[in-house]
Amino acid sequence: MFERRLYYHIDWALLAAILGLCAIGVAMIYSTTFDPTRGMSRLYITQLYAIVLGLGAMVFMLTLDYRTFTDKSHLIYIAMLAVLLYVIFFGTVQMGARRWIPLKVFNLQPSEFAKIGVALVLAKFFGENRGAPSWSDLAIGGALTALPLALIAKEPDLGTAVTLLPVFFAVAYLAGMRMRIFGFMILCLLLAAPIAWRFALKDYQKSRISTFLDPSQDAKGAGYQQIQARITVGSGGLSGKGFKQGTQGQLRFLPVAHNDFIFSVLAEEQGFAGVLAALGLYLFVILRALEAARLAKDRLGSYLVLGVLASFTFQVIYNITMSAGLAPVKGLTLPLMSYGGSSLIATLAGFGLVLNVRMRRFTN
Amino acid sequence: MAPPEDRRRVTSRLTVLQYVVTVLFSILAVGFWVLQVVQHAKFEEMAENNNQRTLALRAPRGIVFDRDGHVLVENRNSYSISIVRERTKDINRTIRLMARVLGVEEARVREIVDRHRHEPPYRPITVVQDATLAQVAAVSARRLDTELPEVLVEPVPTRRYPETMAAHLFGYVGEVSDKDVAGDDDLHSGDIVGQSGIEKVYNALLRGEDGAKRVVVNSVGREIRTLEEDPPTEGKRLQLTIDYDVQKAIEDGFRVAGFNGAAVVLDPTNGDVLGFTSRPAYDPNAFAAGIDRATWASLNTDDLRPLQDRAIQGRYSPGSTFKMAVALAGLEEGIITPDFHAFCQGHANFYGHEFACWNKKGHGSIDLRHAIEQSCDVYFYTVANMVGVDKINKWATMLGLGVKSGIDLPNELQGLVPSTEWKREKMHEKWYAGETISVGIGQGAVSVTPVSMAVYMATLANGGTRITPHLLKAVDEGSGWKPVPPPAPQSKIDIDPDKLQAIRDGLWMVVNRDDPGATGKNARLPGYDVSGKTGSAQVISNAGRIAAGRTTKDLRDNGWFVFFAPRDKPEIAGVVFLEHGIHGSNAASVARHILDTFFAKKEKRPLPVVPPDFHLNYTDPYAHKGAAVAAERN
Repeated sequence: MFERRLYYHIDWALLAAILGLCAIGVAMIYSTTFDPTRGMSRLYITQLYAIVLGLGAMVFMLTLDYRTFTDKSHLIYIAMLAVLLYVIFFGTVQMGARRWIPLKVFNLQPSEFAKIGVALVLAKFFGENRGAPSWSDLAIGGALTALPLALIAKEPDLGTAVTLLPVFFAVAYLAGMRMRIFGFMILCLLLAAPIAWRFALKDYQKSRISTFLDPSQDAKGAGYQQIQARITVGSGGLSGKGFKQGTQGQLRFLPVAHNDFIFSVLAEEQGFAGVLAALGLYLFVILRALEAARLAKDRLGSYLVLGVLASFTFQVIYNITMSAGLAPVKGLTLPLMSYGGSSLIATLAGFGLVLNVRMRRFTN
Repeated sequence: MAPPEDRRRVTSRLTVLQYVVTVLFSILAVGFWVLQVVQHAKFEEMAENNNQRTLALRAPRGIVFDRDGHVLVENRNSYSISIVRERTKDINRTIRLMARVLGVEEARVREIVDRHRHEPPYRPITVVQDATLAQVAAVSARRLDTELPEVLVEPVPTRRYPETMAAHLFGYVGEVSDKDVAGDDDLHSGDIVGQSGIEKVYNALLRGEDGAKRVVVNSVGREIRTLEEDPPTEGKRLQLTIDYDVQKAIEDGFRVAGFNGAAVVLDPTNGDVLGFTSRPAYDPNAFAAGIDRATWASLNTDDLRPLQDRAIQGRYSPGSTFKMAVALAGLEEGIITPDFHAFCQGHANFYGHEFACWNKKGHGSIDLRHAIEQSCDVYFYTVANMVGVDKINKWATMLGLGVKSGIDLPNELQGLVPSTEWKREKMHEKWYAGETISVGIGQGAVSVTPVSMAVYMATLANGGTRITPHLLKAVDEGSGWKPVPPPAPQSKIDIDPDKLQAIRDGLWMVVNRDDPGATGKNARLPGYDVSGKTGSAQVISNAGRIAAGRTTKDLRDNGWFVFFAPRDKPEIAGVVFLEHGIHGSNAASVARHILDTFFAKKEKRPLPVVPPDFHLNYTDPYAHKGAAVAAERN
């Protein structure tokens, strides 16, 4: 099953870059949660366990041919919807949202894995068709995306739900969706925005967006995190304040520094130099994965790689923009670096599929 | 394999995505460059303001000792609770919560905050001074819960007056006025400065230099570590001329006697003030940590005026105690000799008016010494009439009456010894010779402050040097005690020793003779030759007293006793003034306890115990008599 020659086709450079980002993440988690007055924090250990589990998931995604997964994608998709439904009714509540399934060692966040499920089902769906997708193809693909999206949004976890949209658009785009249809959809979204503003968004979501436009209008409330994020990043300077020397993260001016704002901490402690290094690694990972999509043996592989990559890229760019205080604050983690087991395992599993596609580019 | 057109499309669209992603990342890099490099300085400062705070470290004021090193004024630690508006999200919520947690009125907290509204928001506004431990604990608990991060609890050295004595001498401290802040760069709003007494006069010495501490705080305002510390410098230590035991004797004396009034006791050789009091007094501790409004209001509206320093601000008719000044004027001007006799038949007629002696039976033919001893009014009417008011004024002034003593306390007032010039200037009227007669026995327009009476007796005691009473004996500038030389005398005359001796003899006889008219027996201390003079002075004319009828106002006479001892080489001089003390002899009883203590201490004998009762004479000779009574006694 795992032929020896496949081993030589593993993209070691991509894997190295991914592990490098994970390592930076662990270091930053260690730095921000280090508090001599409260004793050592164990969070970075938990993150290390998650990386090991994630690598296990990655190996599992590598061992089987990706077509095995896409062939079973309808089953995976249905199972995924079932789990998401289960979460809505029986999940544990934290910070006002029902997002987690409690396991013995950690809480599983199924929505993170939904991204892979959607990528698989869309790759399979669009991969079976030839030529540019028709309206009905797009409608079905859209529905396949919208179903889990709605379930996740209901938890509520609007941030994660939104990351499913790029999956659909990226795969449809690569499948040859006409640009005017693409433009039309963008237009629809823009027109829907005010309606969503009026009816769909909750007050706290509205206030996040309005304070983004003018953070000073609520400097102690919703605008606080954004102002603090900018201060954190800006005060880092060219070379940073040094490992464990960041004042903003260490002294808790920036909330959830080890999680959503981990990139701010990196910018504070390692400065612009550290930012460039991390941005470079992320860009390398993305371009390298796009390369895998190009090299893929079939459209199915290309679509699958892009499906996985789309949510990843969207999340990376959004989180980094937010961590500099340049986008509204959303509970969206930075893949590979932020503290969080489910996200890390799902991301590494996703990259298992990317490596899988590239590795099997010569097989039949 | 996919058809070639599919392949091409996929490849080209992937290329587009590559470019898009690369461009987005470049934009991100530029964004970070702008924040981290271009705007770095601004954000660095904001980060510092976030996590660094400068806290004032209050300097304790200098400790004050008596002449033997006994602590008179010291400091204790109190806690003040303040709001830092900069850190508060909702000031109204903070005020409500603080009021509830501290158990104080919300309106009061709000009023304090409003008063400091215009100050910069990072400056703490003190809401509670001298907080109780319960208040400190309640606030601290909530601070740790991050419920009240905007509240600051800081230790503040606070003035402590261990014993309630000499309140007017020590004065009190309080928050500096806005006017003073504007006039002095060293002062800041909220600083504690001396407001009266030596706290005010020597504020520059007593006030230390505040230090500062720069600390790192976390997002809830908790101090994490200290970056730098500039410790406060304690104020300079002062040694006063006050003798704690003498002071205590004065306070005890007044307490036992049960009268208000004032007393000043001096070393007649150099003007060291050994004891000083004014009663009723207030508790300076009440001011130390900010006086509450009710106490302040009651101090200000009290009919007895406890805030007035009677010793330097009270002006009273001296009565018979003025007679030595008249005697000295007659002697030094060569108008009389000690052997000059006058005949007292209980009254005398001057310029067509009848003037009574307190002893209606009359003293018969009487000389100066006996006239002083028995306080014969007719004798001094006669002398005053011969000397004239201007010469009396001249010699009274030489002795320190009617002028300021120059004591190192704020707001001293000046008494009055009339003169023809004074009347012309103030009243635009001619002086009538008949007015001089009353002046002869310290009545009429004559008024004196107790401190000036002490100087008067010191001048008679030392032979003519009008010393300046002073309180500061030494200052510790940090390198041990440096004596402060006594201030120069106000004036100096050489009194003929023989003439002076006649007056001193008379004063000695007042205390040490058993003659029926000698009124100072209560001050007698065998072996110490206490010399003194009693006096009593009406606070209202006889006619006025009848008109007032039944009134709650205290209209009893004031009682004086002025003294020095021993007669021939005086070491102590002073005055005891009992407001509404009825008789000068009552004041003499208080003086005796003071003198007894002074000599006991000097000779290292055990100090006299405070008697439970001075057996004072409380009978008011005017109380029920009604109509015409002699204007003068004693």
